[in-house]
Amino acid sequence: MANYKVISKILNLGPLILLYYLSISEIDSHFENYFEILSFNIQLIIIYFWVSKRPELLGSGHIFLAGLLNDVIMGFPLGLSSLAYLVVSLVATYVKNMTVNTRITTDWFTFFIAIIFSNLIFFILLSNFSEIGINFTEVSYNTFFTLLFFPFFWVLFTYYNSIITTGKNV
Amino acid sequence: MSSSRDDFGIAFRSALLQRGAAQKFSLISLIVLATIIFFLDIYGFGFMKPVRSIINDGIYRVSLVASSPSRFAPQVTEGFKNLINIKEENKRLKQALEVYRQKELSVEYLTNQNKNLRKILESDETLFQFQSNTILSKVLIDKSSPYLKSIIINRGSKSGILKGMPVLDKEYLVGRVVETNYLSSRVLLLNDLNSRIPVTFGGDGVQAILKGNGEAKPILEYLPEGYIVEEGLEVFTSGKDGIFLPGSPIGITTEEGQVKLFSESSQLSYVKVDFSKQKKEVF
Repeated sequence: MANYKVISKILNLGPLILLYYLSISEIDSHFENYFEILSFNIQLIIIYFWVSKRPELLGSGHIFLAGLLNDVIMGFPLGLSSLAYLVVSLVATYVKNMTVNTRITTDWFTFFIAIIFSNLIFFILLSNFSEIGINFTEVSYNTFFTLLFFPFFWVLFTYYNSIITTGKNV
Repeated sequence: MSSSRDDFGIAFRSALLQRGAAQKFSLISLIVLATIIFFLDIYGFGFMKPVRSIINDGIYRVSLVASSPSRFAPQVTEGFKNLINIKEENKRLKQALEVYRQKELSVEYLTNQNKNLRKILESDETLFQFQSNTILSKVLIDKSSPYLKSIIINRGSKSGILKGMPVLDKEYLVGRVVETNYLSSRVLLLNDLNSRIPVTFGGDGVQAILKGNGEAKPILEYLPEGYIVEEGLEVFTSGKDGIFLPGSPIGITTEEGQVKLFSESSQLSYVKVDFSKQKKEVF
């Protein structure tokens, strides 16, 4: 029983560990060697999914900290990714408060709104207040592919959620 | 209508202010905090520079450790594959040997061309002089980003690295230092959108600016009026900016006016930082 509890705790930490690991490690989702414009932001998908489904697994403080780590690694001004992540988190929380049952299509649509807001803030702050120049087209491609890959991760995370939820009920 | 507006207001306020069982901070407080940190960092208040430098050094080290499995896994896979396909490996090595033989032949050609270009530039400084003033650095992090093309190296202000110093892979220019910490530095690569390098190429010593475009091949800008770029011309730094030494090889021109870089930025393990030209911080 004690072992089971430990395993369950570790499984519950999965999304948080993944978020931190993706923010701090070299692993990236920019596949320029295969297809130059292919890049997507898994962190945004993780945040949106888990905040809207199981907010107790992904605290806002952790999201904020993961954003700071990402900024240091990527060389962005501190706080920029945190803001982008928190905006996604805000939309996810709002959607969670407003809806009872969600399907993949509704989540997909609301995720679109979340990343539009998030990337818009990211782009506006970076282009107006920072010396770092970024290409609007690159941001658009990133937004597009993040949106495109959302259903795949939705299915994957839903399956994972069902495993940890089943464990919880037992 | 008013009920729907009320619902929106309640849900939005709740999303911003509510703290669940596992939430220690409300979203609004963290958004405000992130905004404050962002502006503190952007407007570079005095105390932020050392703070950021310490944070950077610490996180880069943690990142190096965290990334080690992802570096180790491909090596193990590669070793395993090699064991299984030893014949294939042998064939590949023979092909690689042939490529190196060809490269050896081209080295002589490149050396002669360098000498000629140096004469064109009428510069006393030689490539060999500045090679002796370089410091070898290990690439700590080369996380690819769709927005920024940069790497982190394990040398910082402690080793005398300053902003603006050129960074080389073998003798090929790969970028320049844009951020220095005590134990690490960030190098902006030539294909980054923010990179601009004065270059020269061709027998006539055409001057241009090599501008990063975020893609693999940077583009040549500010060419003479009506000039059409020929394919296969070697591009070198012109040294007009006073930062880079003239004659560092960069890449080869393509028909589209782009430059295919000699050094593959995604394959960098060790780089050299050039100390010879720059004596003081210019940025």
